[in-house]
Amino acid sequence: MLGRSFYWQNKKKNTEENFSLEIGTNLTENLSNIRKMLEDPSDLVIREFTIGKANHRIAIVYIDGIVNNIYIHDHIMEDLKNASDLPVDKQELFDAVDKEVITVTGIERGHSLDDVSNAILSGNTVFYLDGVDQVLIMDTIGGESRAIEEPQSESLIRGSKEGFVENIRTNTMMIRRYIADPNLRFSTYKVGRRSKKELVVSYMDGIVNPDMVDEVKRRLETIDIDDAPESGYIEQWIEDSFLSPFPQILNTERPDKASEALLKGKVVILLDRTPFVLIAPATFGGLLQSPEDNYWRWSLGTLVRMLRYLAAFISVFLPALYIALVSYHPGLIPSDLAFSIAASRDEVPFPPVMEALIMTATMELLREAGLRLPTAIGQTIGIVGGLVIGEAAVSAGIVSPIMVIVVALNAIASFALPSYSIAITFRILQFGLMAAAAVFGLYGIILCYIMINIHIVNLMSFGVPYSTPFAPSFMNDWKDLVLRAPIAMMKRRPVYMQTNDKKLMNKGERKQ
Amino acid sequence: MKRFKYADERISERDIMIAIPSIVMGVGILSMPKQLASVTKGADGWIPLLLGGLFAVFISWAIAKFASGFQGQTFLTYASKIVTKPVAIVLSLMFAILSIFVTAYQIRKISNISQQYLFDRTPIEVIALPFLLVVVYAVSGSRAGLFRINMMFMPIILSIALIIVVFSVGWLNAGNLMPVLQTPITGYTQVIANTGAISYLGFGILWFYLSLVDKPKKAPKAAALGMCIPVGLYMMIFIMCIGVFGNAVTSNLLYPTIELAKVVEIPGGFFERFESVFFVIWIMAIFITATMAMDIGIFALNAIFKNTEKLKIIFILTPIIYFVGMFPRDVMEVDLIGSIMSWLMLILNITVLILLTVVAKIRGVKRNE
Repeated sequence: MLGRSFYWQNKKKNTEENFSLEIGTNLTENLSNIRKMLEDPSDLVIREFTIGKANHRIAIVYIDGIVNNIYIHDHIMEDLKNASDLPVDKQELFDAVDKEVITVTGIERGHSLDDVSNAILSGNTVFYLDGVDQVLIMDTIGGESRAIEEPQSESLIRGSKEGFVENIRTNTMMIRRYIADPNLRFSTYKVGRRSKKELVVSYMDGIVNPDMVDEVKRRLETIDIDDAPESGYIEQWIEDSFLSPFPQILNTERPDKASEALLKGKVVILLDRTPFVLIAPATFGGLLQSPEDNYWRWSLGTLVRMLRYLAAFISVFLPALYIALVSYHPGLIPSDLAFSIAASRDEVPFPPVMEALIMTATMELLREAGLRLPTAIGQTIGIVGGLVIGEAAVSAGIVSPIMVIVVALNAIASFALPSYSIAITFRILQFGLMAAAAVFGLYGIILCYIMINIHIVNLMSFGVPYSTPFAPSFMNDWKDLVLRAPIAMMKRRPVYMQTNDKKLMNKGERKQ
Repeated sequence: MKRFKYADERISERDIMIAIPSIVMGVGILSMPKQLASVTKGADGWIPLLLGGLFAVFISWAIAKFASGFQGQTFLTYASKIVTKPVAIVLSLMFAILSIFVTAYQIRKISNISQQYLFDRTPIEVIALPFLLVVVYAVSGSRAGLFRINMMFMPIILSIALIIVVFSVGWLNAGNLMPVLQTPITGYTQVIANTGAISYLGFGILWFYLSLVDKPKKAPKAAALGMCIPVGLYMMIFIMCIGVFGNAVTSNLLYPTIELAKVVEIPGGFFERFESVFFVIWIMAIFITATMAMDIGIFALNAIFKNTEKLKIIFILTPIIYFVGMFPRDVMEVDLIGSIMSWLMLILNITVLILLTVVAKIRGVKRNE
């Protein structure tokens, strides 16, 4: 940090000495200014030529690789060269180029070197005319980007196969395609001191509660960081409680999920260069929902929801329950099962806590290892892990077969959860519960469960209680919570979002 | 930060309706059938249970009715208007002290029962401490959060109680319920002297929490309805206990309700001893009782010492509660203190109700309706 700021201070001194931050009327000086500011990198392209009868000197400046070359050629270079009947006066010529000659769609004027450098560094092209202290900034953003693919972290059986990509324009385009409504709003912000990244706050005017938007914007304006490489930075900066294990903002790669959230009156935050968009606010119930619930018929949707609550229970409580039951309350287990557990634990030298800790830690290692490795080796890890843990560890007498079942079930349950961020939360909680179970058995588990509940009811996400609509309870919202009512019955937008437009979500009525 | 209307520190009348059964149902229900059965014959205990229940419903309604006349005012504020400030402070202090005793009693009770059903060798002091700390964690949070917890726990608590009632129907022996109405009048008076009022205590919270309700018009009805829940549940549990064990056995069991859970066999053969599961879940009910009692203590003290921070009061109260809870030497002493405390609580509530109503009438204190 120290070295870096020192470097920047030095740099600043140079700035003051070598080049001026204003755009002057002399083209050569202007170009040398921009060269000096960027220290003449190899990807900086400066094309100088003359136009018009009076042979005015002009220059086109851009950075190669992040612009659309064909577009520049077709819509700037060609137009400028082919232009005829250009005025002789420099200012008039400049206006004519702006208004008539260049056929680029996005065009605006810049007045300082900062405008120029920010523009070309984000892929715009800058037009200089000798003798004019203004520049034209033309939107030519392009360059290589990933094609739209199916999102890997949230693939569904039924539903759109489109996922967000790194390019924010593509992402806003995808949301627009889902919601072709004049009330869809995109407000743009720039985040980052060094690298100015585009950040878009999206919401449905007329549906969303205005207080919610104000609060999101207020928090976004407090962001003061060098750079936000991923929306996780934004999430951690604007979330309510950084101590809480629960995610207070959802993230998704799916445009259908984002647009569904918009129509429910939530706010979506998109950041350039990341396919993960943020959805605020989050509630506990929302963490266990997937867009697919609504795509299948309601009976399946409901069953899957209930299955997820079971999965959540297993992924948090199962290892703790194993510890509590085996070491404190063996009498609670049916006697036949208790005997077989006792028999299988006969050779295990560790107490149940240690056994569970060893196994869950191994499971976490496997999970992490599987993530890092390429798919082909990842499968090998799965096989090796399965064999080593499942067979060898048991026959070596390190763990009991029941423990293997417990850990396997626990892992499967946490993979069954629709969002990775809640799966992580439950993994963290699981260790706390294991500790409580080791000390106090079932009593510890229930006290821990009560504590989690106390935490949840006190947690807020952008002014919305995390426990809603369970408590404060809204019966209307229970239709889309643990159960998923038939689509035709879910007529209102979520009450807990206090939307402006409460009516008839399915008939798509819009506030004018 | 701006919050949505429903997310602020105000509560609705529905929260009041849930809060009443939340505070009423605590450790009392676990031993209630024994205390009733020991002084009545057959299943006659349901009569005092019902009459006491109706009385409790009426008192809840009356307190809520009175307190809802002073919208948005704390107990101390309107009591000061009616019976001068010093008297109001004394009354508030008495509520605070009794609430603290209730908390301590619940914590001591749960430690004793846990020791009996979940642990063998762990000392009571060690069992009580984490429970008290969780209670402290709960009261340190927002007050509206407590009502949200009630809302989340109440369905779980009610369903576990109903599961017990439903699944023990198979063991019901109608002969045990006979003979009907054979208890002499002295038996009933003994009930009242022994236990009658204890089980339904908790309406005292209405004095305080009604100041948080936005539209208290419907609150009296909500409070009365809320009180009906424990009345119905108690009668079901009592009749099931008598029906399954018979009067003689019930009066000799220490915690007949938990023993009733022992009889229950949940199909599927997954739980061998259901009573531990029942008790573990019932810990949630005891927890919210203890939490709300402690919160009332804090609420009352905070009204008197306005400039003291809530957390400071909590940190002062916590060790006091712990020592008060650990003070009695055995179960007999705990029960004795428990019944003295309940009587004091009942007397205090009724005195305050009568005192305030009468004085307000005489002095013509205006209600803001």
